[in-house]
Amino acid sequence: MAVISPSEGANKTRSDLIAYATLSIISIFCAVPFFWVLLASFDSNAQLFLRWPEQWTLANYVRVFTKEDGAKWLFNSLFVVGGATLIVMVLAGLGGYALSRTRAWWKLPFLYAILLIRVLPPTALVVPLYKFLLTLNNAEGAILRPIFGSYARDIMRWTGFIDGYLGIMLVLATMQLPLGLWIMKTFFDGLPRDYEEAAVMDGATMMQRIRRVLIPLAMPGLAAAGLFAFMSAWGDFLLPLIFLSSPELQTLPLGLFRAFLRINEIDYGLLTALAFIYLLPAVVAFGFARRFLVQTFSGGVKG
Amino acid sequence: MVRNSHEKRTERQLLLVLLPSLILLLAFVIYPALYSVYLSFTNEALTGAAALRPRFVGIRNYTRLLNDAKFWNSLFVTFVFVMGSAVIGQFLLGLISAIALRRPIRFRQFFSSIILLPNAAPEVVAGFMWISMLAGGEHATLSRIVAFFGIDPADWLNAFPLSMIIIVNTWRGIATAMILLTAGLSTIPSEIYEAARMDGATPSQMFRRITMPLMMPTILLYMLISAVSTIAVFGLVYALTRGGPGGATEVVSIYIYNQSFTAFQLGYGAAVAVVALLISLILGIGYVRAMKVEV
Amino acid sequence: MINLRNVRKFYGALEVIKGVDITVEDGEFAVFVGPSGCGKSTLLRMIAGLEGIDEGDLVLNGQRINDVPPDKRGIAMVFQSYALYPHMTVAENIGFSLSLKKVPEAEIKEQVEGVAEILQLTDYLNRKPGALSGGQRQRVAIGRAIIKKPSLILFDEPLSNLDSALRVQMRAELQRLHRELKATVVYVTHDQVEAMTMADRIVVLNKGVVAQQGAPMELYHQPENEFVATFIGSPKMNVLPMTATRRDAGKVHLESPLGLAIDLSDANGAVPQGEAKLGIRPEHLKLAPQGQGDFSAEVVIVERLGVETYLTVGSQQQPIVVRTEGDMTIRPGDRVSLTAERAACHLFDSAGRVVRSAQA
Repeated sequence: MAVISPSEGANKTRSDLIAYATLSIISIFCAVPFFWVLLASFDSNAQLFLRWPEQWTLANYVRVFTKEDGAKWLFNSLFVVGGATLIVMVLAGLGGYALSRTRAWWKLPFLYAILLIRVLPPTALVVPLYKFLLTLNNAEGAILRPIFGSYARDIMRWTGFIDGYLGIMLVLATMQLPLGLWIMKTFFDGLPRDYEEAAVMDGATMMQRIRRVLIPLAMPGLAAAGLFAFMSAWGDFLLPLIFLSSPELQTLPLGLFRAFLRINEIDYGLLTALAFIYLLPAVVAFGFARRFLVQTFSGGVKG
Repeated sequence: MVRNSHEKRTERQLLLVLLPSLILLLAFVIYPALYSVYLSFTNEALTGAAALRPRFVGIRNYTRLLNDAKFWNSLFVTFVFVMGSAVIGQFLLGLISAIALRRPIRFRQFFSSIILLPNAAPEVVAGFMWISMLAGGEHATLSRIVAFFGIDPADWLNAFPLSMIIIVNTWRGIATAMILLTAGLSTIPSEIYEAARMDGATPSQMFRRITMPLMMPTILLYMLISAVSTIAVFGLVYALTRGGPGGATEVVSIYIYNQSFTAFQLGYGAAVAVVALLISLILGIGYVRAMKVEV
Repeated sequence: MINLRNVRKFYGALEVIKGVDITVEDGEFAVFVGPSGCGKSTLLRMIAGLEGIDEGDLVLNGQRINDVPPDKRGIAMVFQSYALYPHMTVAENIGFSLSLKKVPEAEIKEQVEGVAEILQLTDYLNRKPGALSGGQRQRVAIGRAIIKKPSLILFDEPLSNLDSALRVQMRAELQRLHRELKATVVYVTHDQVEAMTMADRIVVLNKGVVAQQGAPMELYHQPENEFVATFIGSPKMNVLPMTATRRDAGKVHLESPLGLAIDLSDANGAVPQGEAKLGIRPEHLKLAPQGQGDFSAEVVIVERLGVETYLTVGSQQQPIVVRTEGDMTIRPGDRVSLTAERAACHLFDSAGRVVRSAQA
């Protein structure tokens, strides 16, 4: 928007200064809350309020893994969210392709449905979802218990719907599916059909086409969909809160939340160290996803 | 449409490929939504007499809703929350950032990374960071900042709860606004501004008569997206205030949670949820229209 | 009258406009032409006031306007993409500059209608640019320009976004408008055909300097350097490397590795010994009976256009294009004998400067 003219040189510099000033203020506003997490996590005597550590230490981080179940929480989060992300990438990759290439009658309704699903507040869905998963869980238990006896409980930890890895992964994945499908559909829309048509001429079946031609081409789209799914599922607090109860399955946000609810003295150093560990993957993923952000949102604006 | 056998087979295969996603969405989203609607017509609960034998009670939950002051309070709080943080806060700061970042200044990457950072922080962490900022009376970071300007410290979260959550949500959402608005701004060709310069327009005239009218579709889209996602906010507010004090920050999602998991009134909670669903759907239909879905 | 005097522009350390002197008289249609990157658009924007002038003077009607803001120079510009405001109607687009100055609505309406009539836009006043064709949009852009009653109208490659049929039509339109409005125009294009057909004066630019300026036929028949000689005219002038030696006074003998040997008059003795380049246009090479003529060559490509035929002869490293009238049934592989019209030969030294022009 800058239009330069010799007589406006002075104005331009002034506008630039105003831009610097406003951006600095907004940036400070955005950055300040992070300082506490950063500083207190290295503080041997961390407090709730922001202060410069008198004594720097890594002990808080060590404690997260030794005294607390930090390792378990981290593993659970990575496993659950990673699994959900993988599911989303596979299903959205395939489904997005189907949505892009099909000319069937159900295409438009499906697309509208995806958009509308995205506007539903999760809190409104949680209760019925819980009942539904509980029913599924009981059914699964009824099948497994006669066969595996007492081992059924251990198996259910992995395959159960309530308090089981499978269930939480599927639910998290489902919540990210609409956005993932939309991203992949838009992506495939922009991919010329020439490649597939050439493969058809070469005699490839659909699965072969998908595996050997489309997946390599779809990498950027899958990366974007995967990153967004990861970031959103990583931050999800409500779903693990509702669907996970046993201590072995707790994920990072829950561990963090419970650490804050201690009855006696809250260990802020521990808390912020944990928060930092929780924060890091999200920020890293965000750094990678930045490139895709503009493309995704531009797609919605071009109309 | 040529309907030869090869095409038909392809279409079937495509549908097959889409099936797993369809099943998951139907099972975990559509069905619960519909079940919610059903629940709202019952008096199901986890405690009390109705727990053992839930009955269909028609629209009794809804009439109770309409007379429930706390329900209307939650709607009001949600409305103010959406207005303050999405419509005003995020939008203004996002617009200013988007415009400022178009100028050829240095450190653009740096600034935009920092402004996008709050969005990357998971809800729970964001909640805690702001508790540190706001709680603790005179030790709170905010207190120390305003002391610099000669203002007295206060127990921010208790004294100005609604304003505080608006500020926090604004902080969290500037990124979305900035990204969308930047994309919108970039669709305006720079030659138009040069033509306006030749016509003698001042910067403020350019903004009022060219930028804003051309940005309207983008702005509308942004308003819809952010309103919808702000209505759904739960964890952030819960971590900060639990909906208190005294319901001052009890947004709709927290009200639903309280009714369902604290008061265990599942039927009633479902009724509130249905209302929230309807409001979101109405906004969503506007959103779908604005997106001009291409087939 | 518009004057650029020793104008320079730098982007950082890079000099992009290197001391340019141009004069455009009132009512003239001046065309700035040159290859991409020659600086023609930059010069146009400097005249408009959208870019700054680092050194030198820009004088309009006797006034130095280097520091005058763009909207106060009395100059209007038609952009390459027309830059019409998409959300405003044609009437609002044209009247925008007036509404900015808070001119009363009735007067704006009157002036807009007047302009619309000249440009035959009266039926479209309430439409938005999206509902107009390319040619109509261009007219709206022109309307926006002339309503300001400018002393000078600038055009930035206005025809490059149009398809070729429309381009020919719009060329005629623009010339008609120019005559009617009696305006002074500076027009930028990379297409030398547009320059040749539309201009009263052509300014050929190359890498930030003026290679030559003058009337179209002047540049065609009397190019001052190899660049202008090969830039103007399509197909391009043939340029053949030769060795020059002096025979008698007033004559110079040229030989080329291809076997061409000719003598040209050189009254001033301006041709230096050694390397030289012979420039001759395709239409000045004539087919001669076999064995006669200045040299013979093998035909590589034959392009028959009905009214004329272009033959490309010689080798890949040194192709020579020959134009003959009418249709020829010569085939690739045939050998032909060619004569060069002496009076139409140009000679350039190794630096590309002309040392012998075609004789008038």
